[in-house]
Amino acid sequence: MTQHLLFKDIDEPGLSSLEVYERRGGYQALRKALEMEPEAVLAELNASGLRGRGGAGFAMGKKASFLPKGSMDKYLCCNADESEPGTFMDRELMQKNPHLLIEGLAIAAYAVGANKAFIFIRGEYELQATILERAVAEAKAANLLGALDLWVHRGAGAYICGEETALLDSLEGKRGNPRLKPPFPANQGLYQGPTLINNVETLCNVPAIVEHGAEWFKSVGTEKSAGTKLVSVSGNVRRPGNYEIPLGMRAGDIVYGLAGGPPEGREVKCWFPGGSSAPVLLPEDLDLTYDFETMAEAGSMLGSGAIIVVDDSTSIVSLALRLAEFYRHESCGKCTPCREGTNWTVKMLERIDNGEATPADLDTMADVQTNIMGNCLCVLGDSMAMPVGSMIEKFRDEFERHIEEARRAGGGLPLAAHGGRADLAVGSPAA
Amino acid sequence: MPRPEPKFVTFEIDGREVSAPEGSMLVDGAKYGDVEIPVFCYEPKLGAPVGACRMCLVEIEGIPKLQTACSTPVKDGMVVTTTSDRVKNAQNAVVEFLLVNHPLDCPVCDKGGECPLQDITFGWGAGRSRFIEPKRHFKKPLELSPLVHIDRERCILCYRCVRFSQEISEDYQLVLVERGDHTFVGTHDGHPYVGPFSGNITQLCPVGALLPSTYRFRARPWDIESAGTVCTMCPSQCNVELTVRDDKKVLRVNARDNTEVDDGWLCDKGRYGFQSFHAPERIVEPMVRDGGELRPVSWERAIGDAVKALDRAGEKTAAIVGGSATNEEGFLTQFILRDVLGSPHVDSRLGGTLDPEQARQLARPDLSARVSDLDYAGAILVLGTEPVDEAAILDLRVRKAVRRREVPLVVATSRPSTLDPNASAVLRYAPGAEEALIGALVAELGGGTVEPAVAPEQAEGAGVGGAPGEGASEGEAPGEAASEGEASGGAASEGDTSGWSAVRFQPEPARGEDEDSADGATAGGAAAGGAATGGSQPDARLFAERAGVDPDAIAAAAAALRGKGPVVVLWGERVTHGARGRQATQALLALTRALGLSSDDGSGMIEIPTGTNGRGLREVGCVPNMKAGLTEAETDGHDAAGIAGALGEEVSALVLVEADPLRTHPGRDAWERGLDAANTVIAFSHFADDTVTRHADVVFPAQVYSEKDGTITHPDGRVQRVRASVKPPSGVRSGQDVLLELLSRLSGAPFRLSPPQLTSFYADTIPFYRGLTVDEIGGRGVRWQDRDAAGQLAQSPLPGTQLEEPPELPDGLRLGTAPSLWASAETDHAAALRFLAPTQRADLAPADAARLGVGPGDLVEVAVNGTSVRATAALRSAVPEGSVFLIEGTNEDNATALADGSAPVVEIRKLADAPPAEGPVTDEPNPAPRAETV
Repeated sequence: MTQHLLFKDIDEPGLSSLEVYERRGGYQALRKALEMEPEAVLAELNASGLRGRGGAGFAMGKKASFLPKGSMDKYLCCNADESEPGTFMDRELMQKNPHLLIEGLAIAAYAVGANKAFIFIRGEYELQATILERAVAEAKAANLLGALDLWVHRGAGAYICGEETALLDSLEGKRGNPRLKPPFPANQGLYQGPTLINNVETLCNVPAIVEHGAEWFKSVGTEKSAGTKLVSVSGNVRRPGNYEIPLGMRAGDIVYGLAGGPPEGREVKCWFPGGSSAPVLLPEDLDLTYDFETMAEAGSMLGSGAIIVVDDSTSIVSLALRLAEFYRHESCGKCTPCREGTNWTVKMLERIDNGEATPADLDTMADVQTNIMGNCLCVLGDSMAMPVGSMIEKFRDEFERHIEEARRAGGGLPLAAHGGRADLAVGSPAA
Repeated sequence: MPRPEPKFVTFEIDGREVSAPEGSMLVDGAKYGDVEIPVFCYEPKLGAPVGACRMCLVEIEGIPKLQTACSTPVKDGMVVTTTSDRVKNAQNAVVEFLLVNHPLDCPVCDKGGECPLQDITFGWGAGRSRFIEPKRHFKKPLELSPLVHIDRERCILCYRCVRFSQEISEDYQLVLVERGDHTFVGTHDGHPYVGPFSGNITQLCPVGALLPSTYRFRARPWDIESAGTVCTMCPSQCNVELTVRDDKKVLRVNARDNTEVDDGWLCDKGRYGFQSFHAPERIVEPMVRDGGELRPVSWERAIGDAVKALDRAGEKTAAIVGGSATNEEGFLTQFILRDVLGSPHVDSRLGGTLDPEQARQLARPDLSARVSDLDYAGAILVLGTEPVDEAAILDLRVRKAVRRREVPLVVATSRPSTLDPNASAVLRYAPGAEEALIGALVAELGGGTVEPAVAPEQAEGAGVGGAPGEGASEGEAPGEAASEGEASGGAASEGDTSGWSAVRFQPEPARGEDEDSADGATAGGAAAGGAATGGSQPDARLFAERAGVDPDAIAAAAAALRGKGPVVVLWGERVTHGARGRQATQALLALTRALGLSSDDGSGMIEIPTGTNGRGLREVGCVPNMKAGLTEAETDGHDAAGIAGALGEEVSALVLVEADPLRTHPGRDAWERGLDAANTVIAFSHFADDTVTRHADVVFPAQVYSEKDGTITHPDGRVQRVRASVKPPSGVRSGQDVLLELLSRLSGAPFRLSPPQLTSFYADTIPFYRGLTVDEIGGRGVRWQDRDAAGQLAQSPLPGTQLEEPPELPDGLRLGTAPSLWASAETDHAAALRFLAPTQRADLAPADAARLGVGPGDLVEVAVNGTSVRATAALRSAVPEGSVFLIEGTNEDNATALADGSAPVVEIRKLADAPPAEGPVTDEPNPAPRAETV
């Protein structure tokens, strides 16, 4: 059932070296692309229906075609700031198969006429950055990149720099704050030049599309979600890790089939289908197919493809608090609803824990989430408001029970009673 | 670039059809339909919107999410709703979020009652807060600088102050530290935020987080009144709004936005200098010298003494009018001298006279630019002036043009300028070499001819026929040229004073024997060839060498100015000073031709005078060779330096109208001698400065601008109204009253004119001001060039473009002196500003300093012909070798002791080592104590 496109040779020893990669057919797609007209490459990407794997799921070819034509300096930025809790597939890709990314990047740069490219990699990915730098040096030495100027830039550790415009500011040496859009990066991005920004996994799909054609790519997945997807499964499952699945697979087959389901004697309480920013879904939603449109219809999102499974040993309040704390810590502070909303939500959740809340506070908290959503400069505020809002909506009983117990206990006890604070797995033991 | 014609688009907002200029943001466009959209972070003056506060969310048909009206331009057919439930919910939500961490200490907050956060909460908030958790806390209030207090708990993080620091004043000091709800405004390293414009952030702040230290706990909004007037502390003449309490005390000065003048900004001197109005040391009663001591007397006695003295002196009277005097005061002063006493000796300039013909040429309306032309200029030339020190607010205007529109900027100053980093080309000429520098630009741009200064027969002998620019090519054998240069350079020092010899020009005599001298000789030789035939095109190289500037730099500057569209030249009056002022002015007029300024397309010049109202005083006749209206005086009088020299002999009585020659005029020693020798010195003064305490015989307390009624003329010709906003202290009478009384008594004819009558009276004596009234001037001023009467300026055709050959640069260290924004009486007498008052500092090139054995911070003595001042040495790599710079107007060791209108060669001697360092000697005077941060 599983068809490997990105993970085809992932366990091949030495795949990160140019020699092994080329022996496995690497850089053939780039050679093929260079023989085509850039417009033809772009058309192929457009036809493939490849959607961005970073979270928004925007059609990659369409985004690339927004760049103006002409001979100005154009930039291609690879967003490798993989910071979404629960997401770790890019790490494995870059660590084990860096040349796949470089090849995809080179093809995309050729297609849009970018002459400067950057891989913005999160600062914590020391090993992966080193591997990438080595691979880039190899590719340059082998004259595979031609005139393309490719740099690996290490981020300084802020979640917000995964937001594309904050990434650009950070890359320019400024404080990593999101920019107001419009202008969109396609017109005025890095150093005010036209810029295409793509996620690691998105770019890694590019060589296969060029090599085998759009039709071949579309044969996998669903009509609106073509291709395969790497999913990072983490949380309360027996076999956490990265899996490559064809889009449209039944979610339950991923969680139970591939990842082995929750540990013995436990049950799935809820699950995040696309990273910690996605509204949580319930166990019955595991019957849905895992693709962009179905997840959106279910009121959540496929996001980065990070499935976090939460079992019944975890307190939903502690989970909400942990999440809110993360987003409060990572809010850049530029816009009001996110800065104040995340901080207020944390304080309200702490109050629940301390036994100082009443069920009426849940209405306020839910209202605050609504007030954040859609009113911020970037999506970071929504990233907290969506999951926390969904938890209040779907687990209101538990919140109320928690409030009541905490009030009786006078604070302090409830978290222990519910198995301690939830800890979101950031990174996978299997990677 | 011509000013864009606004096109209007029509859109619908809250059900009404509204037309607004294309490209305006919805917030502004909505105002055309009387719809107010609340904002905090949006401030168009700060550049591109940031969309941070989210207060201006509106619903736009066809767009699913609410949009920020501050960043959405209006479009034809747009349908906008600002009153739907969705929008109201969002507005309520944002207000509630903003108040989450706001202390709501309005009852004790100085902003309370005039606070946008209060107003918007009241107008667009839900009227309740559900936030019951603890708020964040910061240490407060803190001194962000000695001038600004910061209360970080009140801050709503709207980014305005930070954007001001980053994008307007470009000092890059303010930043947001930390992130999320921990974010706070501060400086990188906790150092105080000190800069010439820092006070603007207190006016930008929409909450009580940034407050002027001088206004904390002084008044509540219901205690105060606002009064609009014009600041007279520098030629920028910014429009200000005074916060007045009880009709007698100014508590605060805010900018009063006038795009044509100040763009809504105000410098810190203008903002905090008002403290000097109420300084205890201000002179508030008339005084007369009695037994060697100044003693307070009645007005009757003081005026009586003055009348007697002036009557006695008659035509042996002279007057110096200071820059802050109004047109009325200036007019009356020269009227009394010329028409009553029969004396032509009146001056308001510092550096000699301006030829009347040239003065009229410079005043031609078609050569004159308005301040707002800088916004639309194709290129800007800053020439012989440092805007931040001489007309501070124009510094921001130039920065704006460069930042927003990438206008090419050429900075041509002898002293390193703060605008250098923004410039496309920098011309750093030797002090006093404006004439040569401008000539070089004229030559490079094409235009103008050279007449050999002297000895044309020698010139012809020196080499004929070289076309301009030819011959100086790189092809010339450098070795040969070098040896030739050295040889003739040696010959030149043997007393050749003709100013002309084939190959004798050394670009920078101080440079010594490095390879530069070879280059110089090469270029000089070629230049001589080019300029040899009388009346030929001037040779850029010759002029460049004599300005001490690399000819390539001249070419680069010309390239930056050429073909970019209308050029605006911001130039300093000092260009016309000194012995060669006439030639420099001639070169300047030639430059207007070379730049094609004489048309009405937004190009032109703005002259920065040395005094606030320098232009107005010149136009009302406060110069020794011109009457009111820039017409030739019947008799030419002495200029300021001449008056100083004639005191005690040809001149026996001196009237000083808000002038302090010992502080501001070159030749301090000559002034000391002259004032000593004078029979009577009558001074209209604010403070007991050296001139008053040591020399004045009759002292009239002068009004400060908040007390004055009158008019002044902006450097771009805008006549503005200074309006009395507070009552003067009880012993102070208005200057024009006192002058009118002197006039009445001396002439025997009663002159009784109210301030508006006097304005009309003087205006009607100036053909190109004719018919001007205070009503017409109004609150925004009116440029006389824009009135019909402007045609009455006696038109002088532009001169031919013959340029004389400029003199050679002298050997040795040439002294340049320049004013400092902070070296002024206002700084000294405003308690808040005093920490900024500079002590004397000698800016030296590191190479010169090394040669002299001087290190940074060392105490040195700078001497000319036995007169010396002491200064702290500062080594600045931007100072060209062979130049040294001192500050004019310091309290002690004033550079005016050495200045004589030219650029004298000075000797520098080290007196003492730098004191044990508390820190390196920086460009900032007296670094303030570190501010405490959280």
